[in-house]
Amino acid sequence: MKTVTFTLNGKKTTVEAPDHELLIETLRERLGLLGTKPSCLEGECGACTVLMDGKNVLSCLKLTADVDGADLTTIEGLAQNGTLDPVQQSFIDAGAVQCGYCTPGMVLASKALLGEKPQPTDEEIARGLDGNLCRCTGYIKIIDAVRAASLRKP
Amino acid sequence: MNQDTKKTTSPVGKAVPRIDARPKVTGEAAYVYDMRLSGMLVGKMLRSPHAHAKIVKIDTSRARKLAGVKAVVTATDTPKIKFGSNEYFFPYTVDQLPLEDEKVRYIGDEIAAVAAVDEETANKALSLIDVTYEVLPAVFDPVEAMKPGAPAIHTSMNNIGVMLPVQYGDADTALKESDYVREDVFVLPSAAHAALEPHVAIGQCEVSTRRITLWTSTQAPFKVREALAKTLEIEQADIRVIKLAVGGGFGGKLEMLPMDFAACLLSQKAGGLPVKIACTREEEFCFTRRKHPVIYKLKSGVKKDGTLMAITGEVIADGGAYCSYGPTVIAACIMRIFMVYKIRHFRVIGFRVYTNNPICGAIRGFGGVQSGFAVESHMDLLARGIGMDPVEFRLKNATDPDTVTVNKLVLSTNGLKECIHKAAEASGWKQKFGKSSSEGEVVVRGIGIGVAADVMGSKMYKAHESAGTIIKVEEDGSVYVFTGAADTGQGSDTAMAQIAAQELGVAYERIRIKAADTEITPFDTGSFASRVTFISGNATKNAAADAKRQILEVVGRQLGLEKDGLDIRDEQVVRRSDNGAVMSFDRAVQLCYSFDYGHLLIGRGHYNPKTTPIDFRTGEGNISGSYGFEAQIAEVEVNKKTGQVRVLKMTDVHDIGYPINPQSVQGQIEGSILMGVGYTLHENLRFAEGRVLNPSFSKYRIPRSTDKVDIASIFVETNDPQGPFGAKGMGEASLLPTAAAIANAIHDAIGVRIRELPITPEKVLAALNREPGRE
Repeated sequence: MKTVTFTLNGKKTTVEAPDHELLIETLRERLGLLGTKPSCLEGECGACTVLMDGKNVLSCLKLTADVDGADLTTIEGLAQNGTLDPVQQSFIDAGAVQCGYCTPGMVLASKALLGEKPQPTDEEIARGLDGNLCRCTGYIKIIDAVRAASLRKP
Repeated sequence: MNQDTKKTTSPVGKAVPRIDARPKVTGEAAYVYDMRLSGMLVGKMLRSPHAHAKIVKIDTSRARKLAGVKAVVTATDTPKIKFGSNEYFFPYTVDQLPLEDEKVRYIGDEIAAVAAVDEETANKALSLIDVTYEVLPAVFDPVEAMKPGAPAIHTSMNNIGVMLPVQYGDADTALKESDYVREDVFVLPSAAHAALEPHVAIGQCEVSTRRITLWTSTQAPFKVREALAKTLEIEQADIRVIKLAVGGGFGGKLEMLPMDFAACLLSQKAGGLPVKIACTREEEFCFTRRKHPVIYKLKSGVKKDGTLMAITGEVIADGGAYCSYGPTVIAACIMRIFMVYKIRHFRVIGFRVYTNNPICGAIRGFGGVQSGFAVESHMDLLARGIGMDPVEFRLKNATDPDTVTVNKLVLSTNGLKECIHKAAEASGWKQKFGKSSSEGEVVVRGIGIGVAADVMGSKMYKAHESAGTIIKVEEDGSVYVFTGAADTGQGSDTAMAQIAAQELGVAYERIRIKAADTEITPFDTGSFASRVTFISGNATKNAAADAKRQILEVVGRQLGLEKDGLDIRDEQVVRRSDNGAVMSFDRAVQLCYSFDYGHLLIGRGHYNPKTTPIDFRTGEGNISGSYGFEAQIAEVEVNKKTGQVRVLKMTDVHDIGYPINPQSVQGQIEGSILMGVGYTLHENLRFAEGRVLNPSFSKYRIPRSTDKVDIASIFVETNDPQGPFGAKGMGEASLLPTAAAIANAIHDAIGVRIRELPITPEKVLAALNREPGRE
């Protein structure tokens, strides 16, 4: 067991987690944050993406013991006081959501991408989201959404 | 504008935001995976490690003794009743037991299930179940399986699970009268649905009444209820199947799986504690359902002027260990040809063969993808054989509106020719086709066409194909739509809300959807065969019309006006004659609920498409209420040194009747096309001795964001009189011609023909070496 303290969606959080516990397990089973989606649980689909210090990480490959001191954002932490993040709003407006299972991870990966490159080209968006799989949309409207978010005033 | 105060009246035809988009972007949408019930146990399935074996003995005693194990079930705990998915029309294909205890037929066949306090204990319990097998000879190749002396997997002769001979006219004579006859063989691999949400089920039994609730990731909750009732031998009334948000289906979530059955049975044995069984990604690839690999032989003849004289052929599909939706897949593999081409002389025989491979079933396109590649490649070769432009060839032979095909399909609105014309025009076909300047150049371009048609509904498990909707309008003006239609991500909840709002004359934002709960919502056969917008949409439209009629009756009586002279438009009761406002919708609803009337507003509607009985032995009958059409043109770039193919652009022209939500329609088209591109260029679920070789996203590559292709999407609006507001179903057709359009474009680019998917660089290079000259 290890005591791990981190910032989660802006709030200081402390958990007692076994050394082998994965971040996705801590988030979903211990903290009830179910927006982080399990899909492959082997680091190949991006559905469980969360932000760690602004970068996208796969919570199925991350040990909770290793996030001590980190600043974590899950999909639940994006909207502020009921106002959606521009990326979330753009996903709705562009029709980038179908089954929605990849959406939380896709939105967070987009957020990380825009943090690094506020005005990406379509190619840069595609490359930035290459680790996040979507079987529904053909990605066109997802790329539209990220482009629109990059042009939106926060 | 604030989401809550926005009012979109007359929403049909508008790209309103999806009704479920907001909870999905915030992570609040609840999938079965996210359900938390107190005392919930973890269930796991014990599966056969052998492709074909007799079960000599199953000993669960060690597993039962393990601390933390709450239930263990095998076939002896079950009534041993088989299930199948095409039971109504193909009773002989009902061939799978939820838990086997005599014989296993593929690596993954379910033998037992356990429920325990946690996953670790459940896995440990599986390892403590001792099964003694007597391994039997197995067969993995469908052609081998059909030979006399091959291992018998079931009792059917030569392992042929389904045989479908479709014959019209006199094909042999017509071939003799043809100016040009050619024969081609196409080979198509298996593929995985690869929905991002794996299958997951939670079963809970109320032990005192034996009543069961199942939350499952499904496209067809009523179908699951029926199969559960049958295999558990309890009344349908004692089973409630609930669908929550579903993370993609694509045909893979269209039937009850043994894990659904086991979750319910385990809960019963565990004193009513809920049991959750979820597939790992590996289980999802190996043990759910998959696409039928097909060998499609075609021999057809044409006249010099391009008239298609006869189509003959043979379809051999590896069905795997059980039949699943095999019969309808084979039927669809053959019957789609009639929707697309005017043909009188026809003979194609389909065989679905049992092997000891994993089970094949429904997957988006229902055999139409396999048939699309084979038939549309073959048609291109026929056109080339007589020196005719492939676009002209298709225009010459395409079906027309208001015709009845030789097998009695009633094609009423039919935009196929318009689709072909528009696709050719939009893609610049005339300037591009046959212009590949390949001499000396390494990277060359090509253009190719494929066409397709699709049903909107198909009778697969009942005599009727009806869907129903109930709409209640509450005193405060809120509108609830209860529909059996199962939204699995395609957007049917949104479409139902738009249709209800349009017909009732209110804003889209008023509508709340309650969908797909077998105990609460009306019956619906499920999300398949591109049927939901068309069939469930009509049911919803009828229910809204019924609610509206009730409101107008009260208003008419109150004001002494003829109800037929009234309507509701843009949230106002208006006079039809001059559109003049009579009173607001809210006021009208209050009037209904007032002292004088006390009229609770409950609208109901159902819809059964106008079809005729199908004789599946001959393929005769009108299977769908209407048909959708599609032409697709691919432009590709081929590197002759590396064999790499890049899809530059897809032009998709689709007769969708009328788009209820243009953005959703585009989303379906774009998603279908990229799925098709994946299947054309790299997807291939591979096997060795019945074992899946690539059961992960790193080894089975689905298209990624960097694989996206440019798509020009054009709608042809034929405003189908049968469809709700003219709409047709359209969720699958765009996938059907993609592979052939790409293969035809490759032929245009480099002069060689690839007849086997996926079209890998190795195959392109091999074809270039094999066929140095142009065909």
